[in-house]
Amino acid sequence: MAFARNKLLIAAVAVVALLLPLLLQRHYVDVMVFAGLYGIAGLGVALLLGQCGIVSLGQAFFYGIGAYSSAYLCVTLGLSPIFGIVVGAALSALIAFIIGWPILRLTGFFLALATLAIGMIGGILFYEWDWLTGGTLGIGGIPTLSLFGFELNTPQRYYYFVWAIFLVAIWLSHNLVTGRAGLAMRAMRDAPPAAEALAVDMHALKTKIFVLCAVLGSLAGSLFAHYATYVSVQSFTVERSIIFLLIPVIAGAASVWGTIIGALFVALAPELLSGLGDAHQVLFGLALVLVVTLLPEGIVGLPKLVMKRFGA
Amino acid sequence: MSWGLFWQAMLSGITNSFVYALIGIGLAVIFKGTKVINAMQGEFAVVGGIVTVFALQAYGVPYFPAALIGIAAGALLGLIVDILFVRPMMRRKAGEESFLLLTIGLAFTISAGLLYFVGRDSYLLPGIGGSGVVEMFDAFIPVHSYWLVGISVVVVILLRLFYTYSLTGLAMAATSIDPIGAATNGINVTLMRTYTFALGGAVGALAGILVAPLVSVNYHMGIALTLKGFAAAILGGLANPIGAVVGGLVIGISEALAVIGISSGYKDIAAMTVMIIVMIVMPNGILGRAGRRGG
Repeated sequence: MAFARNKLLIAAVAVVALLLPLLLQRHYVDVMVFAGLYGIAGLGVALLLGQCGIVSLGQAFFYGIGAYSSAYLCVTLGLSPIFGIVVGAALSALIAFIIGWPILRLTGFFLALATLAIGMIGGILFYEWDWLTGGTLGIGGIPTLSLFGFELNTPQRYYYFVWAIFLVAIWLSHNLVTGRAGLAMRAMRDAPPAAEALAVDMHALKTKIFVLCAVLGSLAGSLFAHYATYVSVQSFTVERSIIFLLIPVIAGAASVWGTIIGALFVALAPELLSGLGDAHQVLFGLALVLVVTLLPEGIVGLPKLVMKRFGA
Repeated sequence: MSWGLFWQAMLSGITNSFVYALIGIGLAVIFKGTKVINAMQGEFAVVGGIVTVFALQAYGVPYFPAALIGIAAGALLGLIVDILFVRPMMRRKAGEESFLLLTIGLAFTISAGLLYFVGRDSYLLPGIGGSGVVEMFDAFIPVHSYWLVGISVVVVILLRLFYTYSLTGLAMAATSIDPIGAATNGINVTLMRTYTFALGGAVGALAGILVAPLVSVNYHMGIALTLKGFAAAILGGLANPIGAVVGGLVIGISEALAVIGISSGYKDIAAMTVMIIVMIVMPNGILGRAGRRGG
């Protein structure tokens, strides 16, 4: 019964999701595209936080590497977009490995602040290396993507494209965390000595997830660059890393499907609150604080919490 | 580069190092009392600095009382953060990452709040002891820098005395070392944590007030201050205020060397890199385990 109801719910959501771009105004389709882009980057952070208990505050750095790789290779060198995406992902993976291998020996606060420091270093480098990134002026004229000759040049088309990638990434992540690797990760998160005794190579596993997180960030960055057709340093600040982190925190990090809710929240909330001017950021921050204080398992954990308090 | 410029960069690096030390000491105070790393320590400094500027310039309060108002604002903010957010999470026995997310979220919120209330402007305070300069090794050092260093040293000594001799100080330290043991000894553990946050807020605000005559304060500088203070604190081994001064000097001098050797844009990169390397290579700080005791 419950299963059938779930299936019905999923079918209903799928129909709404498919029809959405045809019903919404262009502006809101644009917001939905960004929800998908942020969701892909946030999914990486969710894997680190939910499966390994690692707080990453540096995702905007990898998002930036992806975006600038695409921008530089396509605009300055005139290569095909696929090179930008692949080179960005490979570069991110390499950098994540080089940084991750030493810093993943750290734990807790120290590791989180190390990732924050890396995010800040990245932000400064994007600004200082203006021969590569265009600095505050940025790089414009990035070509839009095309899929088998089909131009992805409207928000509607890009919406389907980005969300398809997002959902596939979630599905793959779901397989990862429900499989053997996921079991090892949860053992590592909840009982490190036991995991070690069972011959889980924790350091290698953490490094792999860190690299995966970086690749997802870079992919999101590349897709962002081809959608916006313009990139500049403002998009890759620490605030952006905090927004990526907010995605799993809002939704409840343990669930990979929850990143959809988190992504919708971080894209839509500022939009709904934007009438309040600069005050909307205050409310955004407060939302994060309140979720952390009141809902340790995020929105996904809300029904359980309500049941516990008011139910049997 | 001439020796004059070299010393100019070096001495301003050393001056900055005391600001980082003060932020680091505030972090260390809160870590000592609660085992929480407070990622919004820099916001205490920004709030303290901006409140003082407004008291002084908009309401015409004289310098010294205005600074006291700024410090009180920092302490009050610490108090509010503890009562509203830290207490419920301590009751729930939330993990390290939850506290980190909480303080990061608060840092984001306060920074956004400052943007809303005071805008994008940068605020400067007049220096203590006027705007004069003193010549030293062919470089010109503002008189205020001497005050900054002097006051920081006094704060370090006072905190040391407070934690070694006063009953409240001892109780605050005991609370984090062994909360249950402390409670059995009749220490009000929850209240001591609140004191800890108020004290951390006050020290943070003082750092902001002391830096405001040298570097103008704005709504988004908090997070960088937090990181550099954190770098100073862990270099010194976290729980040790004197260590934070040594750590602050390492960070300040690394920054100065980056300014001299590369360009001023790479200042923060040098500080952050030193921090990451120290965390990995010397987890107990440069003074080692022995330096961790006391303070």
